[in-house]
Amino acid sequence: MKSRIDGLLYVGPATVFLFFVLFVPLAYVVYTSFWIGSGPSLSAYQRLLGSDLFLRTLWSTFQISITASVASLLLGYPIAMHLAKQTPRKRAIYMVLVLVPFWTSILVKSYAFTILLGRNGLVNQLLSAAFHTRVQLPLLFNRFGVMVGMTNYLIPFIVFPVLASLLSIDQSLYRASEIMGAKPPRIFFRITLPLSLPGVAAATLSTTVMSMGFFVIPALLGGRKDAMMSNLVDFYTRETMDWNMASAIGVILLGVVTLAAMGADQFQRREAKKGVMA
Amino acid sequence: MSADSKNVLPRRRFLQAAGTTLLSTAIAAPMVITSRKAAAASNLTVVSWGGNYHAGVQEALATPFEKEFGVHVTLVDTPDLAKVKAQVMTNNVQWDVFDAVGPMAMTGSKNGYWEPLDPALFNRSDLIAPMTKDAVPLYGFTGGICWDNSKFPDGKHPETFADYFDVKKFPGPRTLRNRASETLEIALLADGVAPDKLYPLDVERAFKALNRIKPYIANWVDQTPQTVTLVETGQVDFSYTYSTRVKAAQEANKPINFSFKQNLIGLEYLVVLKNSPNKANAMKFVQFALRPDRQAALMNALGNTPASRSALPMMKPEVRKWLSDPSNKMNVVSNDMWWADHYDDLTLRFKEWVLG
Repeated sequence: MKSRIDGLLYVGPATVFLFFVLFVPLAYVVYTSFWIGSGPSLSAYQRLLGSDLFLRTLWSTFQISITASVASLLLGYPIAMHLAKQTPRKRAIYMVLVLVPFWTSILVKSYAFTILLGRNGLVNQLLSAAFHTRVQLPLLFNRFGVMVGMTNYLIPFIVFPVLASLLSIDQSLYRASEIMGAKPPRIFFRITLPLSLPGVAAATLSTTVMSMGFFVIPALLGGRKDAMMSNLVDFYTRETMDWNMASAIGVILLGVVTLAAMGADQFQRREAKKGVMA
Repeated sequence: MSADSKNVLPRRRFLQAAGTTLLSTAIAAPMVITSRKAAAASNLTVVSWGGNYHAGVQEALATPFEKEFGVHVTLVDTPDLAKVKAQVMTNNVQWDVFDAVGPMAMTGSKNGYWEPLDPALFNRSDLIAPMTKDAVPLYGFTGGICWDNSKFPDGKHPETFADYFDVKKFPGPRTLRNRASETLEIALLADGVAPDKLYPLDVERAFKALNRIKPYIANWVDQTPQTVTLVETGQVDFSYTYSTRVKAAQEANKPINFSFKQNLIGLEYLVVLKNSPNKANAMKFVQFALRPDRQAALMNALGNTPASRSALPMMKPEVRKWLSDPSNKMNVVSNDMWWADHYDDLTLRFKEWVLG
């Protein structure tokens, strides 16, 4: 009982602070979306849901963020696995290396990517030399370029939760399965993957949510079909000063993400009920 | 031994607590102390752009103003209209003078964010473009075509907008800005509309012309630096950019060249926020910035066309060659007042068109 009260004492101030800094502004945004000068109205929502531009941008936002987080997962999971097998000291060095993408600004990176992936970039030059013809693969300013930029940013956010999950797997399980004669693929699919699923789910969900808010990376590395919702919100917030519409877009996005998170949570609970397989 | 381990060393605990408190105070202090000190000392807050621009404004306007009027000027970076709205809405206006590009100034005007300017403060016949009731032009920036001179020497690159849209004579990927303003004007000029008959814009004709060129636009550029870097790295052959960017590229020894045969002149305005805390000083500053000698000094630093015609002969010749030719009949000065009425709808329509 005392630990309960102690707990509240430690968490209390932070919660109150978060309430004022997070929830009150959020409530104001929701209020702004439902209120225009003459009173409460759903006009912003009606305009948005009837707007072709909004629906297409929403669809491309989902496409880009889900693809980006799945791609980052596919690239980041092997990295996390490799890190999990290292000694703690080496792992610390590798973790710093994983964070290196954060050390450069996106504007500089987009210039660098142009030199690497551009029409006359290094990759194309290498391929041209290897195949003795002029190769000009479109690697930039399209969906591929956006994926490169986004995975570059999101992989650390995949590696760390998945690593945490992998490290929490009881090492004796591996020893037991080796003793029983299981080969590495079987160990991976029967032990590592299922037990790391909580970390994978957390990582995928957080990267999807994060990438939905991006707009600089698609703006700098993407093509005209890679517009994101944030561009629209930015337009309504900073250019036309129509905060009613901007908040409506925000609320819609928030609603969708909350539903997705709740769905993922339900899915996780069902899986957990099935029990841990060993 | 076990009794000692129960005793949490009190002195160490105290030192840790004291150290953490001091550290957090040291980190937080600048946010509390400086703002109060700055608010007390500042007699005028001017919002402008950062980097070299900031240095130019400081040297040509802020420091001389301080010397002449004894008013301390604080330069704040990055004009953001949303912040202006928040300040005006909550009646907590902290900025005085605001450096706004055309569309921003007009949107602010529509929403009532600016104080009316007394026309008697300025020499109106000297201005290259008319002032509105609450905004006065500060300078014009020059938009035009650029190319890599080492790859496309004379005759191999477009120099007017009609040529820019001529993909047979000048094949190759090119760029346009990812916005309605400037792009619609370029499309109409390329389609053959006379520069002096451009406004009101024939929007349907503009979009038809844009449909023609759409497959050849490799990039719809959002961020201004990319308008030049894409040409530098060879990603595109030609681009629509601004004279100041090409000047900077040439100073960095890049073989990028700019066409002055046909330009779009955009305007940057000075405005004063409604209920600004230092209104009298703000008006003085705006008048000061429009003085021909101050205009010349500022434009020597920024490389743009001064709003004051009489400032032109006062400028350094090496900067003057980067200014648009005011007698060039092919040039168009952006009609920001027309855009004020059509910016929102056209931008939405343009965004939809780009996605399709």
